[in-house]
Amino acid sequence: MESQPKIAVVDENPLRAAIIEDGLREGGYARITRIEDTSRLAERLRELDPDVIIIDLECPSRDVLEQMFHVSRAAQRPVAMFVDQSDSAMINAAIDAGVSAYVVDGLKKERVKSILDMTISRFNSFARLRAELKAAKSQIEDRKVIDRAKTILMKAKNIPEPQAYALMRKVAMNENKRIAEIARSILTASELLG
Amino acid sequence: MSQTLRVGYVPLADAALLIVAQRKGFAEARGLRLDLVRETSWANIRDKLALGYFDAAHMLAPAAIACSLGLAQVRAPLRAVAGLGLNGNAITVSKALFEALSAAADGDLADPAVSARALRAVVTARKLQKAALLTFAHVFPYSSHHYQLRIWMAAGGVDPDNDVNLLVLPPPFMARSLELGQIDGFCVGAPWNSVAVEAGAGFILHPCCQIVRDCPEKILATRLDGADSDHVDEEIIRSSLRDASDWCADAANHQELADMLAADCGPPVMRGTMERILAGELQIGRGGGPILPDYLCLEPAATLLSGSQGLWLYAQMVIAGQTAYSETGARLAADVFVSGASPRGLERQPQSFAGPFFDAAHVRDFIRRSAPPI
Repeated sequence: MESQPKIAVVDENPLRAAIIEDGLREGGYARITRIEDTSRLAERLRELDPDVIIIDLECPSRDVLEQMFHVSRAAQRPVAMFVDQSDSAMINAAIDAGVSAYVVDGLKKERVKSILDMTISRFNSFARLRAELKAAKSQIEDRKVIDRAKTILMKAKNIPEPQAYALMRKVAMNENKRIAEIARSILTASELLG
Repeated sequence: MSQTLRVGYVPLADAALLIVAQRKGFAEARGLRLDLVRETSWANIRDKLALGYFDAAHMLAPAAIACSLGLAQVRAPLRAVAGLGLNGNAITVSKALFEALSAAADGDLADPAVSARALRAVVTARKLQKAALLTFAHVFPYSSHHYQLRIWMAAGGVDPDNDVNLLVLPPPFMARSLELGQIDGFCVGAPWNSVAVEAGAGFILHPCCQIVRDCPEKILATRLDGADSDHVDEEIIRSSLRDASDWCADAANHQELADMLAADCGPPVMRGTMERILAGELQIGRGGGPILPDYLCLEPAATLLSGSQGLWLYAQMVIAGQTAYSETGARLAADVFVSGASPRGLERQPQSFAGPFFDAAHVRDFIRRSAPPI
């Protein structure tokens, strides 16, 4: 049986690195090391001697890995691959997600694929998480704007809250806009006229 | 009808022609829309160009050859559309190494032959003291920076593979690593030597135009098979870059250009640093410094290519042990540069300070005579 591969996760974003590590552990991989400080990456990796290196595509230290594998190739040590030259669909999926992987030769292809599949899906879910967080933030922001616009309307037209809200909603529907957009116009107008 | 070219680039002084062609409207005027995408590593540039995410890329000239030859991780036949600049690199050393070289020098350290011999003396002395090997950083295995370090070292009888450690570091990390003593020197492109000197991290030992004259540095590379789909007339690209290059060559525009480039690199790169680089007034960190009009060459001649530039780079790859010489390899390397070749032979030809003289008709002979002394 093939022994557990040693996996290094190089990512300066600690949150994402943690999510990847969790994912890999759930997938049954136990020997995982996270490297968040990349200033002495070559040295850290030499000490660690991992079988697979997963690295964030935006990390400038990708070029450090290129050199390390270049040297080991010259010395007839295991050859490194960017996933697998022939598997361009896999490389595409990895690049789309924002991840690159360096795999030391000798690891079974199925295992590499499962490690990478796991990482790509985690990278994607992290991106989704971030998008959702952003959406949630803007929702809160919208609510605040709507509340302030409502108060302005209530004062200006001397109407109760439900009516002020109904008014904004009606205008939004007529103009085919979001209520938050109408609320923002009210705030702007009130600033200008105020 | 307007055509769009998606171009990957690394924020450096020699991305100037692309940035100017876009911002000053030289591309637009010819119906070409440049969509410039910043990248953080040469590996990303190569992979995204090879896989079709980019139509073209600001690329290390030797990296394009390596990719075509299949030496890199991803294999794709590439070719150069135009040159984006000559020279621009420099070798910077720590203050401690500079002291040691000064003490060992048998002449003026500004002469690379003298400094290379001094390096050999320092390396030998450290061996006797059983001190750690000196460590030098460059930016990518297939880079002129790597070859310029090797040429300089070999000229003094230093074996780059056994007498020193060579490693890769991202340019923004160089100054700090030098300061912390993690490396003893580095070879990197503008503006990062100047940034290190201004931070007080070390001294510039040699601008690389003193190591190799007219070294092809970055090229605009595209895929060989990319031409069939979404065909963009390469002559339009070349003309836009030549216009940009005329604009960059005019000293009256240097302030504006320095502004653009410094803003593009972001902190800690300052406008004043870029301005001095463009003027060739290199601050070397120990009083004064030579005025080198050729330190970073962005003039129209720098956009011209020739097959013999590709052959010179291929020879450096063979000398560095990155590939074995073959007729096929040499032809492929030359071909990368041929499609953008200038018809009138006005392009510049690299020559190293230490010789032997490079003659594109006798590449094997050049390689044999350049082999490092054992």
